[in-house]
Amino acid sequence: MTAKLRNYLFIAIAIFIFAALLVVVCSRKKAEHPEPEILSKTIEDGSRIEFIKVKLFYYSEASSFLKPVFSELKVPEIREGLYKKFIELLLAGSNGLITPVPDGVQLRSVFYLQKMETLVLDFNDTLINAFSGGSAAELEFIYFIVDNICYNFKEIKKVKILSGGNEHKTLAGHIDLEKAFFPDYSRVKNE
Amino acid sequence: MKHIIKTSIFFILLLFSFHNLTALSINFRSFDHEGFTRIVFEADQSFTFSLQSRASQLEMRLPRRADFKTQSITVENSRLLERVTHEFKADSSIFTVYFNGDVTVTKNFVLEKPFRVVFDLVKSEKAAVLPQSIPENTEKPQSVPQADEPAASKPKPIETICIDAGHGGEDLGALGKSKLPEKNITLQISQKLKKLIESKTGLRVIMTRDKDSDVSLNSRASIANNQQAQMFVSIHVNSSFRKSAYGSETYFVSLQATDQEALELARKENQNPEDPSETIKNNELKMILWNMAQTEYIRESSSLAEYIQFELNELLGTRNRGVKQAPFRVLMRTAMPAVLIETAFISNSSEEKKLQNEEFLDKIAFAIFNGISKFIAYYNRIVK
Repeated sequence: MTAKLRNYLFIAIAIFIFAALLVVVCSRKKAEHPEPEILSKTIEDGSRIEFIKVKLFYYSEASSFLKPVFSELKVPEIREGLYKKFIELLLAGSNGLITPVPDGVQLRSVFYLQKMETLVLDFNDTLINAFSGGSAAELEFIYFIVDNICYNFKEIKKVKILSGGNEHKTLAGHIDLEKAFFPDYSRVKNE
Repeated sequence: MKHIIKTSIFFILLLFSFHNLTALSINFRSFDHEGFTRIVFEADQSFTFSLQSRASQLEMRLPRRADFKTQSITVENSRLLERVTHEFKADSSIFTVYFNGDVTVTKNFVLEKPFRVVFDLVKSEKAAVLPQSIPENTEKPQSVPQADEPAASKPKPIETICIDAGHGGEDLGALGKSKLPEKNITLQISQKLKKLIESKTGLRVIMTRDKDSDVSLNSRASIANNQQAQMFVSIHVNSSFRKSAYGSETYFVSLQATDQEALELARKENQNPEDPSETIKNNELKMILWNMAQTEYIRESSSLAEYIQFELNELLGTRNRGVKQAPFRVLMRTAMPAVLIETAFISNSSEEKKLQNEEFLDKIAFAIFNGISKFIAYYNRIVK
C-alpha cells in the first residue's frame, strides 16, 4: 500500500469515525428522568412492603426554583392510589421549605386518563375559595403540582386541576385552568 | 485495497443513514367539508415554507428537498381541486395546488404531531390574495390576509388602547398584610395611565372597568375586541407564597396555553369526513380558533411586554423579574397585542408599603405609559 493510499484510508476512517459519532450524538434522546423502581423492604411487624423512591420539589424563601427532597412511598394496589398517596405526601410539606398550597386544601380524588396521558386531580372547594394569590402564587401552585407529578411518573404527560369536582376558569383570576398543564421544568433547579 | 473498499462501503452506508435521518417526506390529502375544502400537507418532521398565489393556484415553496410520492397527483371528485404537482428547483421543493376556478384561502395554520400545514378553501369570484412571501416560521399559525376581509388583515396605526384594571367588585384580588385589596390599586394605576395617554397622545382609551365593579375575564377581552382596541394592557399587583418575592414582571400569553386547542384542532382535522356526524362545523372551528386569537399577535405582544418591562426597570428601581409567558385567561381571547403587568408584590411587606404611596403609583403609570409610547412608535413605523 502506497503512502498516498494510506493517507486516503486514514482520512476516510477519520471521516467515518467523526460521522458515526455525529449520528450517535444526533440520534441520542435527551436523557429522561428514570421511572421509579419498585423496591421492597421488611417493616417492624415483620411483613414486607413494596415502595418507590420519589423526589419531591418545594419552594424556599431563598430561591424561586423548586428544590428536591427525597422520600419513599408505599405502593398501593391500584395506580390511582399511588398518585393519590404521592399528592398527599407532597401536600404534607417538608420542613423549612414552602408548600405553595392554601391551608385546608385536600385532594378529593384522582383520575388517570390513559389515552390522553393526563392525570385529573380533584381538590376540595377550599382550593378555589381560599386562593387569593396573584399570578405568581397561581403559577407556583400549578407548577408545584404538575412538575412534581410529571417528574416522578413518566406516564403522565399533563395534569388537569379541578376543585370541588368542577372545572374552574382560573384559581384567582389569572391563569387559564380549563386546560391541562404540561410540566415546566425550568422551575426545577438543576433539572 | 480490500480495506479501502470496506471503508468506502461503510461510508456510503453512513451517507444513506444520514439521508434517512434528515430526509423530509410529505404526503398530501384533501377533503370536501360542508362549506369549505381542506387541504393538508403532512410531513414526518417540521419544515419552513413560503407561499405564493397566482390565478387559480397556490404554491408552497420549501427551502429544502422533500420526498413526495409522485410528480403530479390528480385530485378526483373534489369541488375545488384539480391536481397537485411537486418539483425541485435547485435545493428547493415546490408544491403547486391547481384549482378548478378562483379560490379564496380562508384559513392557513400549522399543526404538530405529526407536522401539518393546513389550508381551508372556499370558491370565490376573486382569487386568494396571499403575501408574496410568508416569513419562514412554523412555530405559530399563520393567517392569510384576504382582500375582502375587514380590519385584522390590514393593521392600522394605533388609535385605541384598552386598559384593564385587574379584579374588581367581589373579586378583591390579592390582599396584603394591611388588607389593602389589589383591585383598588389596579384601578388607581389604570386611571392614572388613562389620563397620561389621553393628555399626552390624544389616543382613545377605553377601560374594562372605571369603578369598583365585577367584570368577567371573558367580558374584558370582548370589550377590547368590540371596541376595536389595538392594544390591551392589563394592570395587576402580584402575590406569592414566598414572602421574599419582589419586583415587577410583564407577561404575554404562552404558546403552551394553546396546546390544548391545537390538539383539539388536530383531532378534528383527523376526523373521518365520510361520517357527517364527525364533520367539522364552521362555527365550532371558529370558536376554537377564537380561543387562540392571541396567538396571531404573540410577536407584537412580546415586543410590547419588552418595552413596558424596560421602562418599569428604569423608573421603579425595583427588581427586574423580566418578561415572561403564561396562559393568562384574560389575554387569550384578545385579538390585538396584549400584555399583563404585575407591577409589584403586595405579599412583600416592603412593596406593600410602596403600593400605598401615591408617588409610587404615579411612577408605575408613567413607566407603563413610556413603554406603550415607545411600542406605538415602533408599531406605527411597521404598519405604515
